Amino acid sequence: MVSFECTVQEGCIDEHLRPNIASSLETVCLDILGPESGPVNISWVVIQRGFGFRGGLPSTTSLVRGHIPDGCDDATRQRLLRTIGDTWCRLSGTSEHELVVAARDEGWSG
Amino acid sequence: MPLYRCVIPEGALTNNQRVEIAKAFTDVHCGASGAPRNFVHVVFLESTGATEIADTHGNGVITFETPYFIAGGNRGGRPPALKARILAGLLEKFSQIAKVPPEQVSGRISETPASWTMEAGKILPEPGKESAEWYQHAAVSG
Repeated sequence: MVSFECTVQEGCIDEHLRPNIASSLETVCLDILGPESGPVNISWVVIQRGFGFRGGLPSTTSLVRGHIPDGCDDATRQRLLRTIGDTWCRLSGTSEHELVVAARDEGWSG
Repeated sequence: MPLYRCVIPEGALTNNQRVEIAKAFTDVHCGASGAPRNFVHVVFLESTGATEIADTHGNGVITFETPYFIAGGNRGGRPPALKARILAGLLEKFSQIAKVPPEQVSGRISETPASWTMEAGKILPEPGKESAEWYQHAAVSG
């Protein structure tokens, strides 16, 4: 199973864009990791205005963090991160400088 | 990276306290690790009576027993003593600025390999392997 939590700052990613972003991220995950990696769950957390900071200043950065099946090789994982990033920026209209993407092994307990 | 999520009771902190804590956490992290300030993320999540928070990567939950909790997510590869120093610094600053007794604040820092994260379009380097170009790139705000 694949799961990503999208943490966004209030007012930065329009609510009407989120369903399309979520379905596109699902497609990206299944294309790159294979259909057997599914299902893909995408959830959202909205940080209230005045509650999110980057470098000690108000943040506009989104964090897309999730887990993928264990055993993914580096090249595939990095392709996944880059494709998620490209998709996110294209659909949201935000810059890559306003995005963090992370994909951890499902079994990782660090 | 890093991401520090602060679980706090509803209405417990003023806007100024949140700003102060975010700056202090950035100082603590960067002072100990040498990481660029722009890479330090701090968010506050209000939840009165909470005893657990979802893992930052959506994999299970982290449980806690104090009214205030700091859930950190950092790059792995740093010495355990440094990780402990960062957490101790965060807890101390939070307690001071929030004006709550130290026993009411707890925290945990989880770590993942750097290459599992992409920030500002770049796969993160391992701690200590950062190039001058990376620091320059990291100066772009967002």
